[in-house]
Amino acid sequence: MATITSNKACQDIGPNVRVLKSTGQLRELQTVLRDVETSRSDFMFCADRLIRLVVEEGLNQLPYSPLSVTTPTGYGYDGITFEKGNCGVSIMRSGEAMEQGLRDCCRSIRIGKILIQSEADTREAKVYYAKFPQDIETRKVLLMYPILSSGNTAIQAVQVLKEHGVKESNILLLSLFVTPHAVKSVTEEHPEMTILTSEIHPHVPLHFGQKYFGTD
Amino acid sequence: MRTGTVTRDLKTNNMLHKCGVPLTPGDSCANCRLSNTNMADTAKEASFSLSNSERTSRSSSQGSGSASGDDPFGDQMSQGDHQAAMRRASRTRTQSTSDIKVLRTSKRTIYTAGRPPWFDVKGQFKEAFVIGICGGSASGKTTVANKIIEALDVPWVVQLSMDSFYKVLTPEEKELANQSDYNFDHPDAFDFELLFDTLKKLKRGRNVEVPIYDFTTHSRTKQQHTLYGANVIIFEGILTFVNPEVRKMLDMKVFVDTDSDIRLARRLRRDIMERNRDLVGVLKQYDKFVKPAFEQHIEPSMAHADIVVPRGGENEVAIDLIIRHVHSELEKRDVHFRSQLAAAGQGQPLPSSLHVLESTPQVRGMHTIIRNRETNRDEFIFYSKRLMRLLIEQAMAMLPFKTVKVKTPQGSTYEGMRFNWKRLCGVSILRAGETMEPALCAVCKDIRLGKILIQTNLSTGEPELHYLRLPKNISEDHVFLMDATVSTGAAAIMAIRVLLDHDVQEENIFFLSMLMAESGVQSVAYAFPKVKILATAVDPEVNDKYHIIPGIGNFGDRYFGTD
Repeated sequence: MATITSNKACQDIGPNVRVLKSTGQLRELQTVLRDVETSRSDFMFCADRLIRLVVEEGLNQLPYSPLSVTTPTGYGYDGITFEKGNCGVSIMRSGEAMEQGLRDCCRSIRIGKILIQSEADTREAKVYYAKFPQDIETRKVLLMYPILSSGNTAIQAVQVLKEHGVKESNILLLSLFVTPHAVKSVTEEHPEMTILTSEIHPHVPLHFGQKYFGTD
Repeated sequence: MRTGTVTRDLKTNNMLHKCGVPLTPGDSCANCRLSNTNMADTAKEASFSLSNSERTSRSSSQGSGSASGDDPFGDQMSQGDHQAAMRRASRTRTQSTSDIKVLRTSKRTIYTAGRPPWFDVKGQFKEAFVIGICGGSASGKTTVANKIIEALDVPWVVQLSMDSFYKVLTPEEKELANQSDYNFDHPDAFDFELLFDTLKKLKRGRNVEVPIYDFTTHSRTKQQHTLYGANVIIFEGILTFVNPEVRKMLDMKVFVDTDSDIRLARRLRRDIMERNRDLVGVLKQYDKFVKPAFEQHIEPSMAHADIVVPRGGENEVAIDLIIRHVHSELEKRDVHFRSQLAAAGQGQPLPSSLHVLESTPQVRGMHTIIRNRETNRDEFIFYSKRLMRLLIEQAMAMLPFKTVKVKTPQGSTYEGMRFNWKRLCGVSILRAGETMEPALCAVCKDIRLGKILIQTNLSTGEPELHYLRLPKNISEDHVFLMDATVSTGAAAIMAIRVLLDHDVQEENIFFLSMLMAESGVQSVAYAFPKVKILATAVDPEVNDKYHIIPGIGNFGDRYFGTD
């Protein structure tokens, strides 16, 4: 089985932290999502595009093996095939916004869910609900959560996954915007998990879930 | 009621015959006139010189009876038995000099041959051949023009009439015109500046907008004719040889010399019967303007003519001579394009204008699936679409952006980026390029889409342009030109040439393709070094059937399930 090395489409920021390569196009999407003037329909459109880019890049981190096929013209083509045994897990509520992006790339992938809410008084993240595929401990997990501000929610979610037998190194956290603080605390807590994001910036669009689902 | 500038193809001419009225120049029965103008309309709509969407919904609703709804030729075919009969007639008699063919496959029929390459391997246009036809009023210029078009038997002929370039009249002049006191036969009545520019652009192969002159209001209508795609231009009018600048552009000058009595008789009949004018007025105008103008301006210009045709359209010998000359001129311009292309640029390093999608595991994995001949159509479509989406995202990232500051809902300011281009549009090369449209629409909301149909002529192997519809005012847009696979690059070069002919800037063109052969990359980059080429993969070879090796098979057939 070939191992994944980093590629030009994303940069490595420290061990196990990857950021999509910044292009004008990516910056535009990030700008639209931050702009207070953006309409909800534009917001959803751009969010979906950004999610798709993150998901596509996330899938590049999955294991594969070589495969040779014959083309319709009768010639051989040396390609690769992806290993089976992956699944997605979304952290409710805003992580669910990323499910469609994953579905659009992997039509029949299994998707688990975790509901985590912060206690109003202690700001402590608490797990209310979790439902995973039965054999999750054997799978690679694409954990989806768009905005990491403190990182507490993601840390809790990884904790839950580990309690269900998932190896930390088998978890890939897909997110859109991450603060440097969250990167630090998540990697300290779970050093073997990989984080993939589109941007590390002190100000993250905290309104993401509300605007995406229209509950603002 | 002159029809002004109308591109005529065989259909139009056949239509004239259809009426059963012997066509003496400049006259026709009421029936014939009616069907003639109707047909001219249809021809106008069908001709792809009318590329812009100035047309009404009429053409799109006008699917032909025989063709299925998605047939790209649907609106090239006219309706009704009348036309069907005419089409059959045109099929049986177009086998002669040109290579107009009827291609019939089990599912589709193509009635017309497309326009063969009108440029060389460097993508440069060889000037169109311009035939100037001059002659007095009602001398039979139009008949001669029609006979030339008919005998030339190539679709890529455009007819330009001087009538389109009458100046717009002031209210006082209009009053004079209504009393037959305005001189329409003097050079001052024409807008020679516009005429010169239009003819010059047309000769260079550019897309032009020709005004439509309304003889009842003596002004230009809001609509314009779009003319594009001429290898031969027939330019006729009473004063075509008068302006020396215009004269220089004429490659062949034909003067139609008809006896003045006959011309007066025709003019009387036409003006009184068709334009509801009274005898006195017509005669007054003739005496005061038409006759003096002929003697002063038109008759002397005969000295510039290469050929003088006595008796006008009846003169078969003269027309035959003209045709032979034009054919020999056209042959000089003929190129064997594809074979030259396949040889060009072999062994060179790949050009810097090429941007191949980075070969990530996903890209390679998807290529493995869609290249595999065992892959079913469902999977083929799914993974093709995913790849296209990545390709288009990559192309979007290559557009220009500028730095902006925005306010966030949290109250802070964020320095980000916004696009810095006027407008983006997509143009797909039918059929396989169309498969990339959904991916483009998924990334760009409300994007305008154009279509170009280019097919390979099975007997010559040359690409031919069959159909063209581009968004309006495309010249300042950035254009994503899309085709699924490129082997020699012949179709790609033709499509890029079409865009350039519509004044799109070369550096604003992005050519997007799923799979290209190196030879195709080389020839496109050789012809148009400023065009940015993007592909999800580039294969090294093309076999003698122009198939890409190892390739992906026929992309369109696999995608649409027509294999």
